[in-house]
Amino acid sequence: MKKIILPGCILFLAMSGLALARVSGLFPTAIGPEPLTATYQQINAVFTGDWQQYGQLFTNLQQFLFPRLFLLVITIVPVIFFLHYIAIGPMVFDHGGKQVYCYNLFVRVVHWCAALSFSLLVLTGLLILFASLFAGGAIGIMARSVHLFSALTFTGSAFLLLLVWIKDMLPALYDIKWMIIMGGYLTKEKKPVPAGKFNAGQKMWFWLATLGGAVMAVTGYFLYSFSGNIDTLRLSAIIHSFLGAAMLAMFLIHVYMSMAAIKGALGSMISGYKAESELKILHPEFKY
Amino acid sequence: MGRMKFLCDIERCIDCSGCVVACKEGNHIPVGVNRRRVITIGQGKPGEKSISVSCMHCADAPCIAVCPVDCIYQRDDGIVLHDKEACIGCGYCFMACPFGAPQFPSGQVFGARGAMDKCTFCAGGPEETFSAKEVRLYGQNRIAEGKVPLCAGMCATKSLLAGDADEVADVYRERVFKRGSGANAWGWNKAYKKE
Repeated sequence: MKKIILPGCILFLAMSGLALARVSGLFPTAIGPEPLTATYQQINAVFTGDWQQYGQLFTNLQQFLFPRLFLLVITIVPVIFFLHYIAIGPMVFDHGGKQVYCYNLFVRVVHWCAALSFSLLVLTGLLILFASLFAGGAIGIMARSVHLFSALTFTGSAFLLLLVWIKDMLPALYDIKWMIIMGGYLTKEKKPVPAGKFNAGQKMWFWLATLGGAVMAVTGYFLYSFSGNIDTLRLSAIIHSFLGAAMLAMFLIHVYMSMAAIKGALGSMISGYKAESELKILHPEFKY
Repeated sequence: MGRMKFLCDIERCIDCSGCVVACKEGNHIPVGVNRRRVITIGQGKPGEKSISVSCMHCADAPCIAVCPVDCIYQRDDGIVLHDKEACIGCGYCFMACPFGAPQFPSGQVFGARGAMDKCTFCAGGPEETFSAKEVRLYGQNRIAEGKVPLCAGMCATKSLLAGDADEVADVYRERVFKRGSGANAWGWNKAYKKE
């Protein structure tokens, strides 16, 4: 029995010593053709990085979701508006009577700068996403340049609008009520809707365009300049596309509301005046 | 038709970067663009390994999937090529690629990127084969000449193999067998085999 115990103890000590030395890295790793798997793992860490995390996500989203999402937005939203226009029709107000000065010249100029640059952003953005329809090349390159300059213009004008309108755009309690009745756009009757100088829909559009616009500017900067590592770029592209689709939808809503759904809304942003009769219905809480 | 492939034998690659230079010089690649690069791990330590990498000419390539211009395409022999004149430089292929293969020359107007440039397996592009335009935009078309790509052709240690996948695999399999390990390793018989 003794003959087994002593060598057994020695063997055990030797084995545990070896194991310890191996764990603590005292031994050099084997040289030669043996540790291929470990080597390829190290190479892949440098070569492909963590592609499965964001690279795969970006690839799948860009391949299957983004073009369809944007296509859906630019088709479904106008169709809904068309149906709304036929079924419920626009809001028509008597624009005679007392006029209220709502937008001063500075605000109007900045608004139209933002409007023009945002329209260009939408057009060129869609042009880039669907560039294959135009065979790419010069048109796509021009679209990217216009997108850049429109973005710069829009960032400046959106920042000014943020400063000018931030007080009127702060959320209020009656905004919830406005959201519940959808701003009264689903009925034909003209009852006063709960809204201040700007209603909840305008506030949503405002915050999406300013805060969302800031996110778009930052992600867009990464995408245009390729600064930051590859995962930053992939995340930027994903955020830029999702947020872009949301802003595009809100932009289309804004255009429909101002151009068609409320007669004379376009004129108020040109002249700066709104009729008091209209304000009593659409913006009753507005103290002018 | 066969399937074209690169294979870099990491037991042979010595990080001489000759493949990078040959590709850049032979195809007149713009400054700041590398179609091929060498990755070294554990530099200066025992077990240091190097591998020469470029476009892997994937089956179901992510770059083809995301390109908004559809200017990247795959030939029947597996080589992934692209149309530089349709490329708008959006960079989506770079973000989708796991290997960082698509590269963009800088210095265009407004700091924009130029058209994407990547390894063509020395197979040119969509232009007419051997035309001056093809050479200017994409570099040499050595596949049409019946030669292997420049990088593989000049590799001094013959670690970088290129060509038909089956033949490349055969060469590599034979090497692994000859090189072997354990009882099959070089010198084993001399050291241990008793006559």
